[in-house]
Order: sequence, then structure tokens, then C-alpha cells
Amino acid sequence: MKQLIAWFAFSCVSASAGTLFMGAYPNLLLVIDEDKGKVIDQIKLETGLPVNIRLSHDKKLLYIFTNDRSGFEVMDVATHKVLSHFVLNDATHRFRLQGAAPDPEGKLLYTTTTEFTKLVDRYEVGKAKYTIIDVAQQKITKTVEQPPEEPATPGAPGGAGGGGFRGGGFEVSPDGKYLYQFGSNVLVLKAEDFSEVEKIALERPEDPSMRELGLSIPQESLSDPNQRVSIFNYSDPIVHNRVFGLATFDLNKRRFDFKPIGPAPQSMAGMRISPDKKEAFTVITNGVGGNKRCEFWALDMGTSKITRTAEVPCRSRFTFGMSTNGKKLYLYGASFDIEVYDAKTFKLEATWDLGHDATMAGMIAIP
Amino acid sequence: MKHLKGLNRKARRIDDIVTSMGRPPSEQSMGGDDIVALQNQTQQRPHIPMGCALAFSPGWEVDSAGGTAGLCQPVERDIYDCYVTCFWPAQVPDHLNNYPDWAGKCATATKDWRNLDLVFP
Repeated sequence: MKQLIAWFAFSCVSASAGTLFMGAYPNLLLVIDEDKGKVIDQIKLETGLPVNIRLSHDKKLLYIFTNDRSGFEVMDVATHKVLSHFVLNDATHRFRLQGAAPDPEGKLLYTTTTEFTKLVDRYEVGKAKYTIIDVAQQKITKTVEQPPEEPATPGAPGGAGGGGFRGGGFEVSPDGKYLYQFGSNVLVLKAEDFSEVEKIALERPEDPSMRELGLSIPQESLSDPNQRVSIFNYSDPIVHNRVFGLATFDLNKRRFDFKPIGPAPQSMAGMRISPDKKEAFTVITNGVGGNKRCEFWALDMGTSKITRTAEVPCRSRFTFGMSTNGKKLYLYGASFDIEVYDAKTFKLEATWDLGHDATMAGMIAIP
Repeated sequence: MKHLKGLNRKARRIDDIVTSMGRPPSEQSMGGDDIVALQNQTQQRPHIPMGCALAFSPGWEVDSAGGTAGLCQPVERDIYDCYVTCFWPAQVPDHLNNYPDWAGKCATATKDWRNLDLVFP
């Protein structure tokens, strides 16, 4: 009987281990078991190199965007099977995609595209357009030209939560009526026609090597579907003192709740919130080049104060992630491995060799 | 252009000519230097051409500060992300337009870089 209880307890622990999904070279989606610290599955993508991964609102599907021919693949999270895949490019048309997000029903993908048309003697480069892609029809069903004052790529090139470098930080409101484009500004658009509803200005980060800045998006699988809590940079218009704080953005009401904390470091690598929403973590960077120094910061979500810090030997370029149970912190990117740190002590615990270089598609962590 | 410094005689002559052509009155009154008050200012960064390199001249890759200390170590760690999007100028083929299969046989550039395909532009 004791053995049975022990086996049951072990099974529960094993079942609680999360799963990480990461894009990898040359055309793979890696599935990593957090408990084992190993790659347990490699899913070959027919359409090419994954550059962006997004989780469906019901957390059952992954939408994988590939670079080679502007491809899309829909994968079932439970079975690791690719359900469908298609490409937008053809013999005379190429598309560049920037930012993409599924609607709550998983039927549409919202993105920004630039079309290149091959003519007899040249390529004609089109203007950036907001674009709707129908997953079932596997084609673009609507485009609206982007206003000229809006850059094709948002100021901070990428958001977290599977955004990757080309993620662009698109988000869809829980009711599916509004789109949020997170970058140097937060642009609120009507989902049906991409008309601008509101624009909220943000402070632009200084360090171009950091990707998850401005109003970064927490890990999708851990975040509240109705709000985004993130690090926010603020600068006063006179002395230009930069301050950082915690910003809570209500996706339904489109309102910010901003809690300033203190002087902003040179750059901050996004923020990850623990599953119990009591603690948040980030990696801050001061200095550049050989003088670059990084620190883990832990923030108390209740008091909005820094509770722990520790220096960490960061890479020249990295992405910051967190385990599904909030007990481990990950540094990855520009490499074939993940450095695993304990979230309490900030000590390096392990380095997981993935066997493949990770792409900038980011990491999707699913409990 | 104040952050550019002439390295040879021709460049210095150009600099002298430009200087002799006169500065805007606002700069003349201030001696041509920036006035730094009690405010945070963004550090002037070098101008780096974006995109994949057009010519093969290895060794000129620099970080965002214009040096090399900020580059990934070893550089092979960063080679793929330069290749895929031409996000940072480097001596790599471009993935999007001409060489989609360059890294097809090389899973880890740091370990397997010998498996990278040869490119003949």
C-alpha cells in the first residue's frame, strides 16, 4: 500500500512538470520536459524555420510562423501533431510578416505584412498592411494599409510571450473586438477594420540589443487573459529622469495602472510573474560591451518593491524566461542551451543542452 | 557628424574644409560643443548599416557601442540570428532571399559550423 501511495505521489509530481516549446534551427520545434531538463520531442516543420510561436486562447494549439516562405503551422499541444500547414508565398509574391496573434476562437490570425511582387524586371515592394489570415481557408482574407506615421515594426522589435524578434507584440482583447500592438507605443485598433481607437505613448528603450522592452508581455500561459502586467519605463519631459515601474494594462477597459518603483536601469529584459502572482522577476542590465553587468531582480507584486537582487553572468544577447511553476528562471537565446537558475537563490542550477540553436521565436511554457 | 573622426589625411582635410565652411550661429556661440546640463542624455551611438553585409570583409563586425566586447562569445552563437533576419550586420548569407538552406545541415553553429553550406555570391 505504501508503495502504491509513493507511486501515486511520484506520478503527481511528474504530472506537474511543465513543458517548454521552442523554435530551433534548422526547421524544428523542440519540446522540453522541465522536470527532466531534456528535449523529449522534435517536431519537424514542413514550412521552414520557426520565427514566432503563439499560444491559442484556450491553450490547446500552437500557431507557428516560419520564415522561409511565410508559412504557418498549427500544432496540437497535447499530441505534438501538426494539424495543418500552409505558406503565403508563391512564385511571384513574397510576404514579410511582423507580429501575429490568433483571435479568441482560433480562426483568424492578425498580423502585419509587406508584400514583394516579382515583376519582369524588378521586385515591387508594397506598403506595410494590417492583415487578417483565415486559418481554415489558409489565405489572406483582408488587408488594410498601415497609416504612414506608424512604423512597420513597433519601436521595441519584439514582445515576449512567443513574440520573438518578429513578434511585434500583437495582442487580441478577450472579446476579440480590439487589437493591441505593443511597441514604443501601445496602439489600440478595432479588430474588424484596423481603425485606430487609441494610442498610448511609452518611453523608448536605449539599448538596441535588448528585445523585450517597452511594455513587454508576460508568458502567455501564465498571464491573466484580461490583463497584462509588465515593466513600464517612464521619463519626465523636463529632466528626462527615467523611472521604471509595474504597469497593469486592462485589455477590456484599455486602462493602465502604473506603480513607479525607482530609477530605471539601462535596460530590463521583460518580466515574468510567478503563477501565484505574488512575485515577479526580471533581469536588468547596466553598461554596454565589456562593461555590461546584469542582475536578477525579484519584485513583490503586493508592495511593488524590489525584494532580492543578485548579479548574474549574462550573455551578450539573451532572452529571459521562467518555469511553469515559477521556481526556475531561464536565460536562453543566441545559443544551443538554456541556463537554469533557482528563483529563490538566483544560483545557477543547470545548463540544458538542446542540441540545436534556438531561434528568436521565444519560449512557450505550458503547465 | 561630430562623432566621426578622420583617420587619414584625406578625411582630415575634408573635416577641415567642412569646419572652415562655418558652423551654424548656435554652434559658434557655444564653441561647437554640446552643453550637458543636469539631465540624462542618450549616449551617441555609432552608425551601423543594417542588414546582411554586401561585401566579404571579415572582422569588421561590431556591437552596438562600436566595439567588439559586446558581441556574442564565441561569435558562432550569434551567427544564425544574423543570418535569418539580417538583424545585425555580419558576414553571413541572407536567409530570406537567396540562401534558405545555408544552415540546413548544421543544428548548432558553435559545434557544427563546418557543416554550414558554402556560398558563392
